[in-house]
Amino acid sequence: MTPYRFVPHTADVAAELRAESELGLYQAGVDALRNLLVGTSPVRSLEQRPIAVRGTDPTERLVRFLGDVLYLYDTERFLPDRVLPLGVSGEPFDPARHHALREVKAVTYHGAAVVPDGDGYRATLVFDV
Amino acid sequence: MNVERIDAYRWRIPRQGGMRTEGLIFADEQLMRDLEGDQAVQQLANVAHLPGIVGPAIAMPDIHWGYGFPIGGVAAFDEAEGVVSPGGVGYDINCGVRLLATPLTLAEARPRLRQLVDTLYATIPSGVGASRSDVRLARSDLEQVLRQGARWAVEQGYGDPADLEAIEANGTLPDADPDCVSDRAKERGKSQLGTVGSGNHFVEVGYVAERYDERVADRLGLGAATVTVFIHSGSRGLGYQVCDDHLDLMLKAAAKYGIALPDRQLCCAPLGSAEGKRYWGAMNAAANYAFANRQLMAHYARRALGTVFGEATAQRSRLVYDVCHNIAKHETHEVAGARTRVCVHRKGATRAFPPRHAELAPQFRDIGQPVLIPGDMGRYSYVLVGTAGAFTETFGSTCHGAGRRLSRHKAKQLARPRNILKELEAQGILIRAATRATVDEEMPEAYKDVARVVDVVDRAGIGKKVAQLKPVGVVKG
Repeated sequence: MTPYRFVPHTADVAAELRAESELGLYQAGVDALRNLLVGTSPVRSLEQRPIAVRGTDPTERLVRFLGDVLYLYDTERFLPDRVLPLGVSGEPFDPARHHALREVKAVTYHGAAVVPDGDGYRATLVFDV
Repeated sequence: MNVERIDAYRWRIPRQGGMRTEGLIFADEQLMRDLEGDQAVQQLANVAHLPGIVGPAIAMPDIHWGYGFPIGGVAAFDEAEGVVSPGGVGYDINCGVRLLATPLTLAEARPRLRQLVDTLYATIPSGVGASRSDVRLARSDLEQVLRQGARWAVEQGYGDPADLEAIEANGTLPDADPDCVSDRAKERGKSQLGTVGSGNHFVEVGYVAERYDERVADRLGLGAATVTVFIHSGSRGLGYQVCDDHLDLMLKAAAKYGIALPDRQLCCAPLGSAEGKRYWGAMNAAANYAFANRQLMAHYARRALGTVFGEATAQRSRLVYDVCHNIAKHETHEVAGARTRVCVHRKGATRAFPPRHAELAPQFRDIGQPVLIPGDMGRYSYVLVGTAGAFTETFGSTCHGAGRRLSRHKAKQLARPRNILKELEAQGILIRAATRATVDEEMPEAYKDVARVVDVVDRAGIGKKVAQLKPVGVVKG
């Protein structure tokens, strides 16, 4: 599992992500987002959805990628598992196996920053819940 | 961050760094202490960096750490020189509150309260992914929702035409432009009209527990022990997507117009720019969606009242008022002695226009605009009216709620060994919720005491207390 940890935030939820690559940061962000949406309910990679990476810098690309993953959940109930080079794999929400915890409104730019960290990258994100 | 005390309820952030104006916080000592350790004060100072800001960047006593603007923030921008910022409105565009007053007293309703709360829970979808199977919007319907807001809902039979007079802006913002709303946003919003959502949104049954101004309370239909229904929700996924879409555009616009941003979430564009106008059209359309959303929920709340207490009760349940607390509006205010058109951003703040203001419906002209301030689900909420003090000092704005004091993680930790549902039921408050997680995160201790928040605005003169409501049943997402 790619590392992420939630850090204190009064009104919303902040997460710190660490990874060796930009793609690894996306996976850490997806893992954090999935945890917020359905906790530890197991999610399988049964289907794929394309996501175009957009943005002018690593921070913008990360925020927009996760925003697109959230959009898939909000409109199709598609739960993400793994980040692929051109999208995500996952499966549709199944009330028999997945426990919906909360609504996440958005992935925000507040304090968002992807910075080099040793041999990899670190990022902080705030999710609006 | 350097903060100076002005008086018992006001604190100043002097201009420092790149701030174009000073910050002004309404709070008592305890509420200021609650802000230690989070970034709300810094966020208010960041707002003061934005171009064209007029007067101070203002924070209400329920200020807390948000994203971009703090929650509880108010800022006005010159129409010619200033900007519009999606981060100054928030993701949940026109999140707001609506209050119904029923003809029932608590004593009359108490025997069937459980049935009422259960019926509300069954009638108004709440929680993650809530949608209505009985309200299917064709694309042309959604266009009309975005253009007409609550008026569309009333024309479809969801409520009474008289409701419109008791809604801020009569429930329709004329600047809405559905063409500025993306297909993605429309997709997110098409099946969510008439649903509560999750998080801090709710439908709450309460009663009038105290009346501070009997004349005004009587005018608003808030007799002693009157049973009320409070609805808190906004523009749902459609609004979130409108904000998200325009943040992307505003990041580019800020660079294009040379606007230095202390926080990307404050990205913005000049009000007169193509990007600013596009957001304006989309934001107003999303706000209309929120008005229609609360209009449908009020309709279904009346249906629930009718089912449990009879049709006469449903028909005699009046809309007290409906306010926005996440919005930007063009308004006329006095700035440096001159009447000036400004764009007022209210993010977690409520408009509080004084008596005799021309924008108030005739029924409120002599008492001022009703202001609805929900608290947490275990204590109380308040009804206030707007004041001349708010108009001169805060661009006609006041607080919007209790404001969180504990993170969701901390609240869950505190709630884990307890059963919040049972604790509240022992206090006479029935809770119906989709998940335990929501109840734990929304536990009463997670919020500041809204009585303290309301006392600050009352004593500072930027709102006037009318009545206190206490909850007896809450539907949470």
